[in-house]
Amino acid sequence: MASGQKAARVGEEVWKTRVEKVNAELVTLTYGTIVAQLCTDYDYDYAQVNQQLDKMGYNIGMRLIEDFLAKSNIGRCGNFRDTAEMISKVGFKIFLNVTPTVTNWTADNKQFSLLFDENPLADFVELPDDGRAQDELWFSNILCGVLRGALEMVQMSIEARFVSDVLRGNDVTEMRVTLLRYIEDEMPPDDD
Amino acid sequence: MALNSTPAIACIGIIGKHASSLPSCCLATDNPLHISLFPPHQDEDLDMTFLLNSCLDIFDLRARSKTLDQDLGLLQAIDERLAAYGWLTNTGIKFIIVVDMMGRPPPPDENKRRFPPVVGLRDAELKPAFRAVQTAYIQLMLNPFYSPDHRTPLQIANYGDKSPEITSKRFINELQRIGKIWTPGITSI
Repeated sequence: MASGQKAARVGEEVWKTRVEKVNAELVTLTYGTIVAQLCTDYDYDYAQVNQQLDKMGYNIGMRLIEDFLAKSNIGRCGNFRDTAEMISKVGFKIFLNVTPTVTNWTADNKQFSLLFDENPLADFVELPDDGRAQDELWFSNILCGVLRGALEMVQMSIEARFVSDVLRGNDVTEMRVTLLRYIEDEMPPDDD
Repeated sequence: MALNSTPAIACIGIIGKHASSLPSCCLATDNPLHISLFPPHQDEDLDMTFLLNSCLDIFDLRARSKTLDQDLGLLQAIDERLAAYGWLTNTGIKFIIVVDMMGRPPPPDENKRRFPPVVGLRDAELKPAFRAVQTAYIQLMLNPFYSPDHRTPLQIANYGDKSPEITSKRFINELQRIGKIWTPGITSI
């Protein structure tokens, strides 16, 4: 796929030349501490924790998209498939140095999955063994919020949520992204 | 005894850092964080607890006599069969590995012994095992949901709370793996 390759090239290029790196453990431990602290603050009400993480992510995404567009210098995506490639191969690449696999498209091209082979946020983590965290907590839920916030700033209303997580014992970490609508009637150019 | 004569790990103990500076005092508070037992010793938890306890004074003695390296090597040989080796992290956590010189019963399908019979063990032979235990311990500490306990056992006993023992499944499984895989001469675990 041409757009995929282009995105991969852009991502690699930006990652190498225009991104300031920071120690991975610092990021992982900081994020882990935030989640653990949220868990105590909300008295282990994991639904609340998920929601807070999503909210925090949303606020990050809203700001991050500016940085993303400035660094990557890419234009408008032709369709949602291109958007998905950009998210995976440029967005995740330059901010987390991972490229989740884009897959499981629905026929109407409005829903896809991101499969995370590795997740820098969740290194070292073992969910609390209280019988509920494994079923209720989405540890990396901040990422959903980031996507939602970032895409909203470029006129796309989406819904993102995790459907499986290796931390819970699933085989893969999968995030499901659904395009709800383009905001302000700004329809993108037709998919040729 | 008809056991395999390749030495094997019988027990790994992780001892917390509430080492009292007064070992003779009744408040000596080294607290076991975790003890892994391996066949054929899996039912000897009381014996092993005593044994580990007896090692703690040796840690203390060595700490007084000279500046310590992390690897303390052989702490004591209990009898012809069991010997205890120690490792002290810079944060005061003690790892103790008890080695059974007779090894464990070989699995029925094991092809003829791959290692020649070993008479003695060099201190360095335990190093890979200690390193692996330390790595596992570091992994445990990096887990944001694990909160190390800084209270002394006495405080816990007085104010009541759950014991500070390590419950992480991943850590326990990793120790089991280390204990089973280690043989003399192994270079990395």
